[in-house]
Amino acid sequence: MTGKIAIVGAGPSGCFLAQALLKAAPELEVDVIDALPVPFGLVRYGVAADHQGTKAVTRQFARVFERQGARFFGNLCIGRDVSLDDLRAAYDVVVLAAGMPVDNRLGVPGDDLEGVYGAGRITRALYEHPDAEALPDLGPNPLIVGNGNVAIDLLRLLAKQPEELAGSDLGPGPSDWLARSGIETITVTGRSPAARAKFDPVMVKELAKLDGVSISVSGAGEAPDAEAAKRLDALAMIDGHEAGPRKIEFRFELTPAEVLGEAGKVSGMRFSTPQGGEESIACSSVLTAIGFGPAKDLPRDALVAAAADAEAGALAAGFYATGWFRRGPRGTIPDNRADAQALAARILEDLSADPAKPGRALFDGQPGIVDYDGWCRIDTAETAAPTEGRCRAKIPTRAGMMKAAIEGVTTR
Amino acid sequence: MKISILYGTETGNAEMLAEDIQAELEAAHDVSCDNLADTDPAALDPTRLYLMVCSTYGDGELPASAKPFAEAMDETSPDLSNVHFAIFGLGDSEYEETFNGGPKLLAELMIARGAKQIGERVAHDASGPDLAEDIAFPWAEQVVAEAEERLGAPA
Repeated sequence: MTGKIAIVGAGPSGCFLAQALLKAAPELEVDVIDALPVPFGLVRYGVAADHQGTKAVTRQFARVFERQGARFFGNLCIGRDVSLDDLRAAYDVVVLAAGMPVDNRLGVPGDDLEGVYGAGRITRALYEHPDAEALPDLGPNPLIVGNGNVAIDLLRLLAKQPEELAGSDLGPGPSDWLARSGIETITVTGRSPAARAKFDPVMVKELAKLDGVSISVSGAGEAPDAEAAKRLDALAMIDGHEAGPRKIEFRFELTPAEVLGEAGKVSGMRFSTPQGGEESIACSSVLTAIGFGPAKDLPRDALVAAAADAEAGALAAGFYATGWFRRGPRGTIPDNRADAQALAARILEDLSADPAKPGRALFDGQPGIVDYDGWCRIDTAETAAPTEGRCRAKIPTRAGMMKAAIEGVTTR
Repeated sequence: MKISILYGTETGNAEMLAEDIQAELEAAHDVSCDNLADTDPAALDPTRLYLMVCSTYGDGELPASAKPFAEAMDETSPDLSNVHFAIFGLGDSEYEETFNGGPKLLAELMIARGAKQIGERVAHDASGPDLAEDIAFPWAEQVVAEAEERLGAPA
């Protein structure tokens, strides 16, 4: 089977889709396009720096380009450098797998105060995304709003002692920022009861390994079913963990009502409780981990609303969506693999190729595209001489990446 | 010898390793490679050696593609007393409490139905310094040699 397929987004969803398409139909021309000069999306910039085992999935993705014949077009932003209409006209199939990078806002009074930060903003800066804003001062008592795995990742990184980050790829700037944070207490709040919190129990159990912290869990409540019991068991396991002076407190059933401020800066958070009461907790910053929305480059919500079959990821003839971009910001790497495999089967069923379509020739003359070999040069530059206790030294700027993509090993 | 590699995978890493082991053994043996999700435990063949490659997911659980196989084992309780298998695990010691829980469960299921395990259950650690294939290839060579001794001459 032949055909030209463009996948927008080189994160796990896009790479798994390319893998599944080429496994079933090795003759396809599959081009994976990313706005960044580097591939792998959230595996590089979302999976925590101290979860290198999870990042091993990139070995599969490398094969998609090295053995299965997919091509990488990095540093190419669809919706800005090339329009979506032009892309659709040039390819038999276009698939949007661009993820959901924008932090959801709290949507309560005070959510624009200085000291309110989205988890994505903080993790992008921690993981040295080239478009990240600077890491802010969180003060001694940050409060995390959210009970998903993103909240737990953020908590764990903020809680860790410098030596607990050995073997990670956390850069020198973020490492120094964490070491100097001066954090005394981290409060983690969720709107749901603990039984319905979204985190995976294994992520919570991992906190029991932390060296410098003492953990307390309040108001975890009862488990209505076996799935919830696993969550409560994990929380019970960490409750009372005492290994150091930094305090972590888990709270539940607190619905944000207002971010409190003094002189334009966060000073606390007011919540409503299920009993109709209110509770205020003093804090020096508010970190929101309450989900993500789409970037502005592509009209995601309009496309999904007008989709022919949104559940299957079919937007229109020859036009599809997968991963977080389709479903919203829920689900882990294997969920996106399953999604991509199902979509690959659907695409192959629907595909009718027009040999007259130009495909990748559309990008001829487009300056600054980084191909897979360019990424390999960046990768080599990053892994050739990591600093002590680190497995990689990420190049934090686009200019640095572009230089390494052309020249190979260079200095940061 | 006739070898069937069976993988239980969630992210695809175990599937990739299974395919690598197949490529490594193919020159000298008759090797197939299948997803556990597509494998009927009652149809396991006593003349073959089964090399199982299995990850762990969630809280020390079987990966998604091994679950239908485990359910079929529970439902049909097949007699596997003439079946020989070896098992290789993929795990991540970041989650130390449940490290390699999946392959452990799978091995216990096989043994509970009478299957004979060849060699030790070896585990790769995704947070360790080694590549999975650097541990898995020597393991496969060793268990195949052991199986040839126990099951008779190479077919």
